[in-house]
Amino acid sequence: MIDLLKDSRFLVMTVFFLIVVAGIYFYATFSGLLLILSLLIFGSFCLFSKDKRIKLAGLGFLVLLALANVGLNGLKYGIDFQGGTRIPVVLEKPVSADAMSELIDIVKKRVSVLGLTEAKVRAVGDTQINVEVPSSDEQTIKFIEDTLSHQGVYWGVVDGRVAISGEDIYSTSITPLSSQQLSQSNADWGVTFSVNRHGAEQFAAVGKNKADYPVYMYLDRPTNAVLFLSKADIRASLPEDSSEKEALRSLADALELDSNRNILVFITEDLNLSSLPKPKDNATRAIISNETADSVKSALRNSGYVVTEYSKSEISPSFNRTRSEVLTVAKLEAVGLLSSPLLSPGLATGVPNYGFSVTGSVPGTGAQKTAEATANVKKIESILKGGSLPVQISLGSRTTLPASFGQEFLRLSLIGVAASIVAISLLIGLRYRNLRATIPIVLISISELIILISILGSFTIDLAAMAGIIAAIGVGVDAQIVITDELLKRTDENTEEKVEHAFDIIKTNVIVATLSMIPLLFSGLVEIIGFAISTILGSLLGYMLSRPAYASIVEMVIKSRDDTQ
Amino acid sequence: MDFPNIFKGNYKLLAIPPLVLILISIYFIPQIKMGVDFQGGTLVTLNLKGAADAEKLKSDLAGEGLVAGVRVYQTTTGYKAEIEVPQSQKLVEADSLKSEFNNMLPDVSLLEVVSMQNSSQMNEYLAKRADLEAVSNKMFALAGVSRKDFNITGVIEEQKLFSNAYLKIYSDYQSSISKPIEKHISYSSISVQTVSPLLSSQFISKAINVVIFSAVLSTVFVFLFFRTLVPSLAVLTGAVSDVLIAMGAMGIFGIPFTLPSFAALLMLIGFSLDTDILLAMRLLRRKGDPRELAHGAMKTGLTMSVTAMVAFGALFLLAVLTRIPTYYEISAVALAGLVGDMFATWGINAVMLLWHVERVRA
Repeated sequence: MIDLLKDSRFLVMTVFFLIVVAGIYFYATFSGLLLILSLLIFGSFCLFSKDKRIKLAGLGFLVLLALANVGLNGLKYGIDFQGGTRIPVVLEKPVSADAMSELIDIVKKRVSVLGLTEAKVRAVGDTQINVEVPSSDEQTIKFIEDTLSHQGVYWGVVDGRVAISGEDIYSTSITPLSSQQLSQSNADWGVTFSVNRHGAEQFAAVGKNKADYPVYMYLDRPTNAVLFLSKADIRASLPEDSSEKEALRSLADALELDSNRNILVFITEDLNLSSLPKPKDNATRAIISNETADSVKSALRNSGYVVTEYSKSEISPSFNRTRSEVLTVAKLEAVGLLSSPLLSPGLATGVPNYGFSVTGSVPGTGAQKTAEATANVKKIESILKGGSLPVQISLGSRTTLPASFGQEFLRLSLIGVAASIVAISLLIGLRYRNLRATIPIVLISISELIILISILGSFTIDLAAMAGIIAAIGVGVDAQIVITDELLKRTDENTEEKVEHAFDIIKTNVIVATLSMIPLLFSGLVEIIGFAISTILGSLLGYMLSRPAYASIVEMVIKSRDDTQ
Repeated sequence: MDFPNIFKGNYKLLAIPPLVLILISIYFIPQIKMGVDFQGGTLVTLNLKGAADAEKLKSDLAGEGLVAGVRVYQTTTGYKAEIEVPQSQKLVEADSLKSEFNNMLPDVSLLEVVSMQNSSQMNEYLAKRADLEAVSNKMFALAGVSRKDFNITGVIEEQKLFSNAYLKIYSDYQSSISKPIEKHISYSSISVQTVSPLLSSQFISKAINVVIFSAVLSTVFVFLFFRTLVPSLAVLTGAVSDVLIAMGAMGIFGIPFTLPSFAALLMLIGFSLDTDILLAMRLLRRKGDPRELAHGAMKTGLTMSVTAMVAFGALFLLAVLTRIPTYYEISAVALAGLVGDMFATWGINAVMLLWHVERVRA
């Protein structure tokens, strides 16, 4: 033991162990990946080191890490085990992988606005997205369904009047400008679209003589809301040369809208909490930063507002200075203001126009420039398409599982796990009739199980993953049987040769098991990916860690047996 | 735990039982029932408040116009019913109309914009618009709505109403399932899994891809590993036989083909290659009497199979208790495959390898 402490490899392992424990504690989101990384690193130690104690230490450290992860972060279960609701979102047509990840981001954002950070959003094939929430509360579910199925409304507002709205735009006409059109209009990026007669006439009337006015592009602009900003919110991205007063003036300009749909702006520091501005009615929303003091929030609630909180990046307006030195609001996500291009003089003549384009330029060169241009095109397209989702969706039938059932399933599954360990131990005991060979097999199976559950539990344990865990116990034991059989064989080979034989077989088996499952891992068939992950991890774990450790235990056992004989 | 060496004597006869099994399996494979995942349709799972009779529920639902398969189980969490509704032809039709409509839409929109500014293309526009309306009329008919009820002025309204009609067909389908259930069954929780025609065809194409990839990867690996024809073929034949036997069992025992049972079949490829490779390595790379070597390998291999069976047996028992389909499908297929693997490895694969080794040594 003493000389192990002096061993440099052991010290390196200890230091790495401590680093990973800290990592698991501080970066809980990445704990699963950290564990897999440690599996690979400790695994290499075990694989390449000849020292049995190092091999055993590798397994020991990994089990400790797995336990630390369970202790610090707990395990995550799918709705099958904790109860909850799954809402499938069915897409109108198949989408590419890129479009799918974009969609998932949008859906995540929509759902997380409701404060449901625990919601899981994942793709099923390329035409469906599953939203899972650990709640079976009818109201919450209804709220999510509404948010998801609702199509966004696009408005282009010029000088306080709606100049163009999404329902007049031909959705199929919204396309990026070709490179030829771009060079003609001297822009880096652009999106073109067509409108119907109503849209053309409305734009002509509202936009007349408004050349160089900003067109405030809103998606889902609230119709009954008041904005409360702190000085810091306003200052956050205000150009150096601008005053707060100027910023407030441009905010008022951007938020102005006819028919009493103005959004008023107040500065939280200047509020008198005992006499707040009165809300229009009991549905008036107070849009406010989530960093605002609780006293302000509750005062607003008490005076009749529906308080909706936004993150700092959503509530801080960003500004632009136009060529004519006017400060305009470029973006203010909390009220749905996403972009504000300027109205070109050609469109301000009052003559109806059916084709429009939004163009812009981006600084920089090369790949970065192209990427930014593409991002802008996508953004404008999604605003104009109003849904903000690039494809139309419909909601499938939801699945609700009460928490009590989930807990029962989990309890029974854990009993199943325990039962299969007990049964396998008995079987091994019967087969070898040798306690010294059986106990290590059982201990190693348990360690494997702990590591596997900890890794899978930092992602999500669903039914398929649980089935995979139970399977891994049975299949994981196999390699240990191969080693035991080789070692117990009375041939003229020495122990090391026997172990080598066994490892040749095991290595091949692991490669085959992995190869046959890996295509499933990348198939996008999420229902059964958990099964693939646990099967692959199970064999990898066995090859790299438990088998070397096991071999060294059994070698010691056999040596002591040979010695006593 | 010692058993006699079955490879003594005329070992070639050992191939007979597995070959018979494979023939029986091939006969039953076409009878495999496709699950909702691959066939499309709707599977409703209900936890019931009390006992129920499957036949009675079935006729009750049929009385409401809902033709569905009904199964009732008693589980540790009470009674549970599964109601399986086949894919609706209406939905399949609506899906194809929708893609037809979406394909025509860009052209018609463009022509509409052009014709508003320039009447020379008016006729072309009107012709295309009529084609589009013909498609949406079919959709309206499916949804049971009439064009006359709306004031459609342009393509934008047309598109909106078309989408609404499509959504109505979907929600009609869903309520045609949920209404009779609400009326006749009292339940404490419900899970509805609808797999649209589009999604099921996607699952199928993905599953086929996965099978092709893993078959190619495994085959390439086996050939690279052995670098000789007969052993590679023997090992692969063992794996293929195993999968065939497992699929035959699915046909015989009515285990549906779903995503979980598909995953289990894939795992069987790996597992059956495990025992096959163990045997091949012992026979090819070790000195001694091949039949003794085969016997030794068989001892190890059977222990491996039995432990795996114990684990999947635990899962199967759990599945019987809880009626969780994922557990049932995975464990039943795995158990069948593990049994099949015993026959395939120690019958077919061992016979081929022994024949090869004895011939080479002679």
